[in-house]
Amino acid sequence: MSDIRSRYSPLGRALSPSLLISMAAVLAAALIGLGLIFLMQVSVPDAIAAFIDGTIGSPYSLAASINRSIAFALVGIGFVFANRANLVNVGGEGQIAVGGIAATAVALYGGVENLPLGLPYLLPLLAAVLAGAFWGAIAAALKIKAGTNEVISTLLLSFIAVWLLYWTVQSEHLLRKPMTNSATLPESLEIPDATKLPLLTGDYSFPLHIGLPITIVIAIVLGVVLARTLFGLQLRAVGLNPAAASRAGISYARTVLISLAVAGALGGLAGGFMLLGEQYVLKDGFSSGYGFDGLVAGLLARGSIVGVIAAALLFGFLRSGGINMEMVAEVPTALVMVIQGLIVIMLAGAAYFLERRPG
Amino acid sequence: MTWEVLAVFLGSSLRLATPLLLAGVGELVSERAGVLNMSVEGMMLTGAFAAAIGSWATGQPLIGLGIGIIAVIPVALIQAVLSNTLRANQIVTGIGINILVLGATTLGYRELIGARSRTEIPGLSMWSPPGLGRIPVFGDALFEQVWLLYAGLAIIAITALVLRYTSFGIAIHAAGAEPRAVDKSGLSVSFIRYCCVLFTGFMSSLGGAFLSIGDIHTFTEGMTRGAGYLAIASVIFGKWKIGGTILACLLFGAATALQFQLPTLGIDVPNALLIMLPYLLALLAVGGLAGRQTAPRALGEPFRR
Repeated sequence: MSDIRSRYSPLGRALSPSLLISMAAVLAAALIGLGLIFLMQVSVPDAIAAFIDGTIGSPYSLAASINRSIAFALVGIGFVFANRANLVNVGGEGQIAVGGIAATAVALYGGVENLPLGLPYLLPLLAAVLAGAFWGAIAAALKIKAGTNEVISTLLLSFIAVWLLYWTVQSEHLLRKPMTNSATLPESLEIPDATKLPLLTGDYSFPLHIGLPITIVIAIVLGVVLARTLFGLQLRAVGLNPAAASRAGISYARTVLISLAVAGALGGLAGGFMLLGEQYVLKDGFSSGYGFDGLVAGLLARGSIVGVIAAALLFGFLRSGGINMEMVAEVPTALVMVIQGLIVIMLAGAAYFLERRPG
Repeated sequence: MTWEVLAVFLGSSLRLATPLLLAGVGELVSERAGVLNMSVEGMMLTGAFAAAIGSWATGQPLIGLGIGIIAVIPVALIQAVLSNTLRANQIVTGIGINILVLGATTLGYRELIGARSRTEIPGLSMWSPPGLGRIPVFGDALFEQVWLLYAGLAIIAITALVLRYTSFGIAIHAAGAEPRAVDKSGLSVSFIRYCCVLFTGFMSSLGGAFLSIGDIHTFTEGMTRGAGYLAIASVIFGKWKIGGTILACLLFGAATALQFQLPTLGIDVPNALLIMLPYLLALLAVGGLAGRQTAPRALGEPFRR
């Protein structure tokens, strides 16, 4: 009984051992990070000051941290969604990349600039979503047709997408801006103003864009779909026992296709937000690291959408702070990866003790 | 295509395939025993980094190689403990290790070498088999290679023999197919899997060291660039057979070599497409081009007594 209550009441869930273990792992990893900073003979207070400055030091850095968290949250929510069907989407990186490419292509050359009603940015966003969904669906098709493990296929698709991005910004036939001289950078033109995402405050010193409310709505909708709808139940059934689910009339192929396509679509949307909301110019490597951070946020959340958002915020601020530490206090941002890797490893190991919990 | 060009192409294919061959055969052994070892990428990067640092600090590439092998042991142990003793999700563990290693080696490189980056690191010497090296045209271009390549081929041959003809090889196979039966016969599934993961670590560190102190004589951040994942793909492509895995690695090596060869032949193919080619081939391969897949039955499942 007590187990049921702790699993289904909000308070019991908030204080569950798994949350406590997650917090302990994050804390331990952060302490190791501080120890490393100390070993690097950088002043720890200086590093911490630089870290805080990069996260909440100014309205700009606060908004930038939240924007970063949005991308992580979308990829993480997609991971959790597909993982409900026991699918592991590790292709966030590539899905972001194709989303960014599609959004840029439509914003620059789709003739959307003069359309009414927000269409100038909504259509590029739609293109990003479709591109990401397509990238996810490839992995689903391979899984359904050939039984290919989606971990491998989504990873390989990520590498392919990253080089596709490189190609599109290197080739003038694709998205590279016209070469006027030999110093022209390998990047796209800046997208037209009308295609940039509207800012919530309209003020560039606090560049929080409409991606935030959209992401919140998506999180709530998908949370409800997973917890309260027939489809959520079907996902879970396929995840727990595909053979039994199939006997109960749930199509395995359809479930795999939808869940991986949704995960991919969210990755694509994250790429679209990054491009149309912050970067405005498509560059090689713009997605670098985002997919993996989102993946880790999804892994840490243990199936909970609220957990994804918490982890995404944590990593968004960790990254922003880490970047500022590198610029100001000369602590390489790679430190953030060390901390993340430690968190994932500790939590993977901790699952053993959680499972054995009596009751 | 002249003979010279062909010889250079074959030589560079073999050279570029070597890190994949070493790591791929290592991964094959783990997977045969039932452990899907996603941390190959991290293990290779560890080997590449530690070997480069060791060689740079001591001036002795051989000592560097030894340090590379030693440095991978803790990484392999983390993977082994988590995936066997703690029965953690093997994929999550592997990805965690890869992130940790990428961060740690980047950090270590910046701290240790950073300011002196682009320093040439003493590398392993070249060797060509007696006789073969004197073949006209092909002798130099194809057979004169870093000695680690030949040592690696020898280890791979021994691995193939052990897998096929020894009782331990059969036990490895059984641990991945019928772990319960292995347990009933009195052998320890856990022990077999620990050994196999450590072996994967050893082979991956050789592969990584080949990249840094064998091939290009320097270390760059994240220099494995997905080679570990290609190694995993080669195992799938090769249908969990050693011969197939080797062929897949050679194919990926040849695909990589094309990016350097085609431009010299004046064939204009977008560079990005060529860099993408091994991954594209790997995707086609795991996507059923190689036929229906026959993974070890207990692959990826922690064994519970």
